[in-house]
Amino acid sequence: MSDESPAAADGMLVDQRGLTSRSHRGTASSPAVVATSTVLRQLYSLVQRYFPQILVAGIALSILFVYTSGGLTLMGEQIKNALVLGAIYALVAIGYTMVYGIIELINFAHGDVFALSSFYALIIATSFGGFINSLATGSGIGLLVALLILFVTTMAAAGFTGMAIERVAYRRLRDAPRLAPLITAIGVSFLLEGFMLVKFGADNVPTKNSLWITGTALTLGKVSIAWTDLFVFATAVALMFTLGAFVRITTLGKAMRATAQDRNASLLCGINVNRTISATFFIGSALAAAGGIVYSLNYHSIQWSLGYRLGIIAFTAAVLGGIGNIVGAGIGGFVIGIIYVFGGQLAGGEWSDSLIFAILVIILTFRPTGLFGVDVTTRA
Amino acid sequence: MALIEVESLVKRFGGLMAVNDVSFVIDAREIVSMIGPNGAGKTTAFNCVTGLYPITSGAVRFDGHSITGQPPHRITRLGIARTFQNIRLFSFMTALDNVMVGAHWWMSARVWDSVVKSPRARADEKRVEARARDLLEQLGLTRYAGSYARELPYGLQRRLEIARALATQPRVLLLDEPAAGLNPQEKKELMALISRLRDEGLTIFLIEHDMRVVMEISDRIVVLDHGVKITEGKPAEVRSNPQVIEAYLGQGAAERMVDA
Amino acid sequence: MPSLSLGRLLTWERVDPTARRPRGAGTSTFWIFSIGSATLLFMGWLLPWFVRPTSSGIGFSPMDVVSSAPTGIGTFLVYLLGIGLLVMVLSPFAELFYRARKRAVPARIDQVRVLIAVFGLVCTVVVFLLTRVIQEEQLFGPIDTFTITDSAVWLTMVGYILAATAYGLRGWVIRRPTTAFAAIALPVGILLPLMFHQAPVFILWAAGSLGIYTLLALGLNVVVGFAGLLDLGYAAFFAIGAYTCGSLASPKHSIHLPLWVLIFLGAAVASMFGAVLGAPTLRLRGDYLAIVTLGFGEIIPDLATNNVGKLTGGPDGISSIDQPIVHLPFATINFGINKEWYYWSVLLVVIIVIVLLRNLEHSRVGRAWVALREDEVAAAATGINTTSTKLLAFAIGASVSGLAGAFYGSIVTIVSPDDFSFSVSVSILSIIVLGGIGNITGVIVGSFVLTFVIFWMLQYLNEWSATLGQTINVPSLGNIDYSQYTYMIYGVALILMMLLRPGGLIPSRARQIELTSGGEEESLAAVQGIA
Repeated sequence: MSDESPAAADGMLVDQRGLTSRSHRGTASSPAVVATSTVLRQLYSLVQRYFPQILVAGIALSILFVYTSGGLTLMGEQIKNALVLGAIYALVAIGYTMVYGIIELINFAHGDVFALSSFYALIIATSFGGFINSLATGSGIGLLVALLILFVTTMAAAGFTGMAIERVAYRRLRDAPRLAPLITAIGVSFLLEGFMLVKFGADNVPTKNSLWITGTALTLGKVSIAWTDLFVFATAVALMFTLGAFVRITTLGKAMRATAQDRNASLLCGINVNRTISATFFIGSALAAAGGIVYSLNYHSIQWSLGYRLGIIAFTAAVLGGIGNIVGAGIGGFVIGIIYVFGGQLAGGEWSDSLIFAILVIILTFRPTGLFGVDVTTRA
Repeated sequence: MALIEVESLVKRFGGLMAVNDVSFVIDAREIVSMIGPNGAGKTTAFNCVTGLYPITSGAVRFDGHSITGQPPHRITRLGIARTFQNIRLFSFMTALDNVMVGAHWWMSARVWDSVVKSPRARADEKRVEARARDLLEQLGLTRYAGSYARELPYGLQRRLEIARALATQPRVLLLDEPAAGLNPQEKKELMALISRLRDEGLTIFLIEHDMRVVMEISDRIVVLDHGVKITEGKPAEVRSNPQVIEAYLGQGAAERMVDA
Repeated sequence: MPSLSLGRLLTWERVDPTARRPRGAGTSTFWIFSIGSATLLFMGWLLPWFVRPTSSGIGFSPMDVVSSAPTGIGTFLVYLLGIGLLVMVLSPFAELFYRARKRAVPARIDQVRVLIAVFGLVCTVVVFLLTRVIQEEQLFGPIDTFTITDSAVWLTMVGYILAATAYGLRGWVIRRPTTAFAAIALPVGILLPLMFHQAPVFILWAAGSLGIYTLLALGLNVVVGFAGLLDLGYAAFFAIGAYTCGSLASPKHSIHLPLWVLIFLGAAVASMFGAVLGAPTLRLRGDYLAIVTLGFGEIIPDLATNNVGKLTGGPDGISSIDQPIVHLPFATINFGINKEWYYWSVLLVVIIVIVLLRNLEHSRVGRAWVALREDEVAAAATGINTTSTKLLAFAIGASVSGLAGAFYGSIVTIVSPDDFSFSVSVSILSIIVLGGIGNITGVIVGSFVLTFVIFWMLQYLNEWSATLGQTINVPSLGNIDYSQYTYMIYGVALILMMLLRPGGLIPSRARQIELTSGGEEESLAAVQGIA
């Protein structure tokens, strides 16, 4: 039946030249090359195995350097700055890690959602004829109410923005090979940045709401910790714990974890995967919004391009913690904050960004699974 | 003269011991089959020998020289070629190009030659294309030379994968379940092909589930179960070995077979 | 009737089963000719309407057609040309119509079109001669209705030539797409500066933007298209080439090497960096690889901004870069003054690079890249050294970029870190995605479209809008500043592109299927458990 049967034609299937013994033909390496490559390989596996320790040691050393060169006050100041910055990074990193965990997409636009949220916060704070602004600056209770309104509305707005982005841009490309969703994500990022550029202009926009929380909370030695610092830190920690509990306890949280592990199996178990993914985007964006809000409460100006670099830095934090791991992203955020601040202190502020990018390369070279990442098992 | 020696091979994935202290030897121009129930560790052993998996412990030697820990491309260049259980052709390359990729490592054209399309590069391409077409013709695939690999019928895809492996000038050919999904006629052709390959000087090492195929073409059989080699020997010996029967059919079956 | 999918229509092709490789580009080239001719004719006709007030084309504002009656032979000819334009613009739609019904276009229709095209060509030449050589005002009626510029004449002529070739030599175009394309593109490309000698800005655009971006896109195509490695930081190598040129041909370090040396040097330095920056990415999967390259794409300009080692001049960069001055026995050519020479140099380099890259594509290395892209594990098992193959892709891609950078530095005479931002990397990536990943024709087309839109159209969009506003009596259109919407439009374009046509304008059939149905994405490192 098959006219395609292997014919017993002339000419051999097996190349007779190949049968001769060629133990090292084409594979011979000079002893020097072999030696260096062995050394390199051993160095590599050493760094790989002791990566967390090396990282901690490096950080400790840099903190030590700052202490010895600048004194306790400087060290204290920078630790405070690092924790505040790290808190913001943590909030944004969690969104990255959640989205990547569930659909394996680096959501380029996430950093811009963060920036956009800070603008949302500004708008809400100054709208209604400045009602909310006066509420906040009026009394203690007023401040709390204003903050509550601000957080709820901004986080919701950002959440819906994130959901819309997923629905319009990412959903159809869920199973496409890497390039397509990546470019789409870049497109969304440009779209958001362009929107902020048009709406708010190219220059720094002063944040009214940064005047809401004022004053020093406490002073440790010569280091003064402002209320805003505490607020940022507390918000981040509180939200992280809430999210952690949510993911562990609620059905939706379980659905998220299941979908992240195996999408098809989750479908078969009756989980509404589309809704789960939408919820993931909502929550991730809402957390980024929280980061944006505390950013606008803490710093005195925001800008359309805020999201780009901060986004990459936050992503580095997510990778450091182990992509897909929410707690890891949180911890990673603080670690990156420390590296950013102390690295900048030692090398000069203009090198902070590059330092973090270099860390990103190092992590992905030696330990792509991050500090707390899921151990990658090969297919048996 | 042992061509491939596998000595105390161990492969562990985290807590799972996929291959546990397996040793065997394959002599030149032998046809050796590795059998065992699903999950026995056969493909894992393959992957260890061909360098796809880093070995936890043990040694693999080819022609007397150690190949433990060598990267897969180097092992292929040394003369061990393989096919995959779930066919891994380059779907969007033509059949001809698929086979020509096999010749990649022994082509003499260097990058500079390729860039400027020197006479050496042109002669090289012609030579390799001729060899590739020859292989395709002998395996009955000429009609599909210009088709994308993914457009070929299943049985022919298997054959194309073998053609690609042959293009690498191997001394040993490792076939992972070559008969899977083939109808009886195709299986006959496969067995004829394997015999012919051995006659032309190749050593064949295959994983297979179809017992008829295994029994008919193998010189020796190695049996794995749960990562452990439970026996090896000639087909007749292995067939009546109670441990083998137990591994495949369960404990009671072995006793019943002996009684029967 | 089969479903009218635009994508399917545009890439409909026949596969010769025993051929060495399936032919597909022929149909795409035909479409380029068909649509290209319509576009050129349209531009030539309505040039005055787009760009006001001084330069004009071979036609006039559509409003004036209604108001002024034809007087004189010249005007009459122009009206005929208008009809010819209409026919040619409608032609691609006619093609689609027949494709949808899976029928071949009747020979008679083709013949009619060829006749119209040839007639149009003759008409154009006559009109040109009338205005330049004879200059009879009476032949044209009220002169201020329209004037005729050289550029418009050239555009119209090329448009009709393309149409005649496409519809008259259809078979040849489809069977020998590269030859057909080269036969038209080469003479037009070489003569371009002479066609547009009244528009030095245009020449500069052609050399500086179009040429450079085409080179960059060709280089990135090696990395992303051939080898399948997602690179988001490609501008870094561009920067390296530019800064190499800047450092070695300016007062900064008082070294003044000639441009042709710098081209090779820029390429060499960049290729070394390519290998170095590519090394950490070898074990990484698609998106991680992209992020790492993105990181490098940020680090390199930062190094320049921070004036590392006092080499790079900080945020202001390096300025006053030399522009070549060639002393020939009969003349001195100053590239800075006669920018056409830059254009011709870049054109020459682009042609050479295209030829060399095409050779690579269909060679041993090119096959290895495709195999690597398809299935890294199988490629390794077939004897391909994945490490060196990937590094080679990075090195070669980077070298082309470095080459382009050297040219860039010379043309614009100032290099600063802002020129090499993430947007630039994305632009180049967009060109490839827009044009068609992996195939060189697509990259060229994409480069044309993108640089034209970004660097040319966007400049004049405000004026065009104002003219439109005037014509249809909506004056508010003149008040919109489009430049601020650039980012948004860009973003939307990228999104739409990936959602609707991920294969690009000129997709290669294989890639289009690849992009829509997904492939095996298992990296060798993942299988080996080290990533």
